Amino acid sequence: MIKRSSVRIAKERLEALVASDRVHCKPKEYDLICHELYKTLSKYVEITEEHFQVSITRSAIHIQLTGEEH
Amino acid sequence: MGEVIVITSGKGGVGKTTTTANIGAGLSQLDKKVVIIDTDLGLRNLDVVMGLENLIVYNLVDVVEGKCRLKQALIRDRRYENLYLLPSAQTKDKTAVSPGQMKKLTGELREEYDYVLLDCPAGIEQGFQNAIAGADRAFVVTTPEVSAIRDADRIIGLLESNNLKKMELIVNRIRIDMVKRGDMMSVDDVTEILSIPLLGIIPDDEQIVVGTNQGMPAIGMDSFAGDAYSNICRRILGEEIPFLDLSRGQSFLSRLSNLFRKN
Repeated sequence: MIKRSSVRIAKERLEALVASDRVHCKPKEYDLICHELYKTLSKYVEITEEHFQVSITRSAIHIQLTGEEH
Repeated sequence: MGEVIVITSGKGGVGKTTTTANIGAGLSQLDKKVVIIDTDLGLRNLDVVMGLENLIVYNLVDVVEGKCRLKQALIRDRRYENLYLLPSAQTKDKTAVSPGQMKKLTGELREEYDYVLLDCPAGIEQGFQNAIAGADRAFVVTTPEVSAIRDADRIIGLLESNNLKKMELIVNRIRIDMVKRGDMMSVDDVTEILSIPLLGIIPDDEQIVVGTNQGMPAIGMDSFAGDAYSNICRRILGEEIPFLDLSRGQSFLSRLSNLFRKN
């Protein structure tokens, strides 16, 4: 089995930390924000949660729908 | 009119002081008149890194409190043409200087110097507010670690909300062997998250330790880190210098091409 590179773990942890710092909430709350945004959007847009991505920069919140080619 | 630049990071121990010392020395080697200021009240280090600790008579707090004239507190570095140090106080508490006083001080210095470099203390308290008060531009130093990058992100947010929008990133202590095997974040990984322009990449280099031991900036020595710092200095002056190729095998070639570029 291939050992998982530690950079991938670092990046995942860092992204969660930075996103929660930027919206001033705990990492758990950040997960909740993502989930609730998904729930809201999924009422109107046909999408699955695994194709739904939220990224937070210092000045914007981006929602990306991935994996769906139209 | 000179430019006032703050060197900051949030997290301690990522290389702010070393970076200030090397950029200060490097800019003075490029014929610029430079003053470097240690703004870390109570924990002064820049004088030690520069090897000037025995020459201190007056310090930043003495100047601000009017106990001496600004000129009396500036230490001239004999090894470099036109490089001066304004040391911090070792005994005073952190509230001895205010942001307003720092703004006034840097305003005076920029009349006479091409570059005023401020070595910012770690943290986001008053020392940070003091250091950024008079600055036009900020260099954010980080290392490729989760905690350092996270703190850098917060600092960038704070600089933005203090209307200091001209920010550039220095990624310090990169180890290419570890990046290659997936055990250290690459410069691209770091810039992707922090999304501010990159000013320089400093490889992890033993010469930095050797230099600090002797109180000598690495920029004078033939070293990877020293070369990286002199590239930063030339970029500050507006030259377009490609980023150091950190793969060892090509180091000789890239140094050779650097040599030719100078002419």
